[in-house]
Amino acid sequence: MKSALFTAGILAATAIAMPAQADKLDDIIASGTLRCAVVLDFPPMGSRDESNNPIGFDVDYCNDLAAALGVSAEIVETTFPERIPSLMSGRVDVAVASTSDTLERAKTVGFSIPYYAFENAVVAREGIEMASWEDMKGKTVGATAGTYEAIWLEGKVKEWGEGQFRPYQNQADVFLALSQGQLDATVATVEVSEANVKSGNFGGIKIVDKAPMVPDYVALITLREEYGLINYMNLFINQQVRTGRYAELYKKWVGEGEPADLTIPGVYR
Amino acid sequence: MFNYTFRWNQALNSLPQMLEGALVTMEIAILSMVIGISIAILLTLFRLSRNPLLVGIAATWVEIARNTPALFQIYMVHFGLAGFGIHLSPYLSLLIGIAFNNAGYLTENFRGALKAIPDTQTRAARSLGMTPLQAFRNVIMPQMLRISFLPMTNQMVWAILMTSLGAVVAMNTDLYGVTSELNARTFRTFELFAIAAVIFYLITKVITLSARLLAARLFRY
Repeated sequence: MKSALFTAGILAATAIAMPAQADKLDDIIASGTLRCAVVLDFPPMGSRDESNNPIGFDVDYCNDLAAALGVSAEIVETTFPERIPSLMSGRVDVAVASTSDTLERAKTVGFSIPYYAFENAVVAREGIEMASWEDMKGKTVGATAGTYEAIWLEGKVKEWGEGQFRPYQNQADVFLALSQGQLDATVATVEVSEANVKSGNFGGIKIVDKAPMVPDYVALITLREEYGLINYMNLFINQQVRTGRYAELYKKWVGEGEPADLTIPGVYR
Repeated sequence: MFNYTFRWNQALNSLPQMLEGALVTMEIAILSMVIGISIAILLTLFRLSRNPLLVGIAATWVEIARNTPALFQIYMVHFGLAGFGIHLSPYLSLLIGIAFNNAGYLTENFRGALKAIPDTQTRAARSLGMTPLQAFRNVIMPQMLRISFLPMTNQMVWAILMTSLGAVVAMNTDLYGVTSELNARTFRTFELFAIAAVIFYLITKVITLSARLLAARLFRY
């Protein structure tokens, strides 16, 4: 009698002591699929090959993360303005989409440590005379809505007080407008600019100068309260560099030069 | 679980910017309606004429405007014309795109209104010695506009809501453009779009109510 009561009491106690919700890391492993948001009009980080399959640095990172977790990867295509809303609405688990780690965004989403760093370049139409980035003053410039470059460029246009800023919905429209002459110049990462100039899809554009921004560090993002997953992703990024996979993927997708140093000297993290 | 914490203060602080955007939206809608009505009257005249070329122009315009998406029309005006060397600002491309769409739908409205006017009106006007154009201008057109007045306010409301398509042509000064930019910066999606929806609702409600008042006043027998 007494022992029966005792056992019932222990069972009840353990039942109450069970965690109320499992965290996202457990959810992903349990479900067997990692849904990543990837931007696919941003070569070499994300694009489509001739048979329309997603390829790119970000796609490979998503596959690596899924392999490390022991699940299969599902690439969910999003546009730049849609990365964070798709995360907040639960459509994806993480976004491997070259998201710059600004403080404004950190109020809403949780960032990992940087996994890549971009330098930005100014791309102009061939007929325009521009010696340096400052010659963008007074011209019609544009960028992809919601990106780091767009926010910087719009701030500059407001500061100069002259010229016009146009935010287009995706990277392809920006370059189309540039080659058609609707824009005089835009700011994009060096990798995308070189890829687009070389591909010849958009005629009549040229790279003018490096934009004077600090290197654009991009990180993986997930929900702000998922500390388990954020810690896991931090270790994952560290291991990618440690095992040489970061350098290998850099060489495969970007090519020349040394892969960017992901540390900021003088500060611990 | 609902994973969102509401922060209304941030969104309400941007209310002045959004109201300025609402003014631009109204401007585009009103201008596009004025242009649309003028073109629609012209196209109605083309339709009534005996010249097959004019009838063909009117028919083509109406077919294209009514059977393709407005988004597509606006996109073509901006990027398609640029391929031929004609560069239009986002404001102009949005305005022309919406006016094109309006003209098509309004021509059909006018056709319906014309069917409601009996033939005897035209015959009586002609027998008084008026030329066909005078008969149209003095007798038929006022009646036509009166009958299609409320359907025209329908189109006006639709034009106001269509201005949100300006996002694809980089229009960032109208209500939707301002809201979208604020969203990209602060991620207060729910709050910002709820406020924008209320502003749109108020604008369209004011338009429909004043149209009804105007109709009651103007069209009293």
